[in-house]
Amino acid sequence: MIHTLARGESRSAGDLGRRFHSAQPTISKHLKVLEEAGLLVRTVEGRVHRFALRRKPLRDAEQWLARHQAFWSGAVAQLDQLLSEADDAS
Amino acid sequence: MPRDEAVAEVRRRLTASPTRVFAAFAEASLVSRWLTPSRDVELDVVEFDFRVGGTYRFAYRVPGRDRMVVNGVYRTIEPPSTIVFSWDIEPPDEHAGVRSEVTVTLTPNGTGTDLLICHARLTAPGARDRHAAGWSGALDHLAAMVSARDGNTSMTGGQ
Repeated sequence: MIHTLARGESRSAGDLGRRFHSAQPTISKHLKVLEEAGLLVRTVEGRVHRFALRRKPLRDAEQWLARHQAFWSGAVAQLDQLLSEADDAS
Repeated sequence: MPRDEAVAEVRRRLTASPTRVFAAFAEASLVSRWLTPSRDVELDVVEFDFRVGGTYRFAYRVPGRDRMVVNGVYRTIEPPSTIVFSWDIEPPDEHAGVRSEVTVTLTPNGTGTDLLICHARLTAPGARDRHAAGWSGALDHLAAMVSARDGNTSMTGGQ
C-alpha cells in the first residue's frame, strides 16, 4: 500500500481495496492504522475518502538513524582512544 | 516494548578489559570524556545516577548549533557485561519525543573486549503517543496484511 501511495497521487479507499483484493472494512481498518500513525493524510470529498502518503515520518526515521549511527561511531572511537591513553599512562 | 526497524549499531574490539570498559560507562568523570559524537562537541554531565531506575541528563554543546540535551533512565545494569538505558532527546530538538533505548553489551575477547552498542527506536505502546515512533506499528499491520495475501502478486508484479 505504501508502495502504491508512494507514486505520489492520492487514492480512494475503494481503489485501494480493489488493488489489494481486500474487503472494504479490512482496507478501511488498515488505512485507519496508517493514518493514526501519521503516515497517511485523508481527504474527504463527499462520500469518497482519499488517502495520500505523508513522507515526513519515514524521512524522520532515516534521519534519526543516520544521526545516531554517526553519534555512536564517533563516541566509540573516542572511548577507544580514552582507554588507550589510560593504558599508556599506566 | 516492540522495536522499530530503525536500529543504529556499532561494534568495536577494544584492548581494555570488560571491567575497564564498563567503568567508562559507569563513572561520570569518564563518561564526560568520551560520550560525544566528536571532539568538537563537549558534554556536561548534568545528572548521573548510575543504578537501575536512576536517571541521567547529558547536555551537549555543539559549535554553532543549539545545545542538545538527552535524558534517560538506567533500565538494566549487569557489571561487567550489560547496560540498558532509555535515550530521550529534549525539545526543541527535531528528534525530541522519539523514544529509544540503548543496549551496551561487553563480551570478553582474550584480554580485551568486544563492545556492541545497539540503539533502537521504540514503538510507542499507547494509541495516543503515536507520532514519529509509532509508524512502524502501522507497518507491522501492513506487513501482516501483505503476508496474508502471499501468492497474490498484486503487490509487486501485477500492477
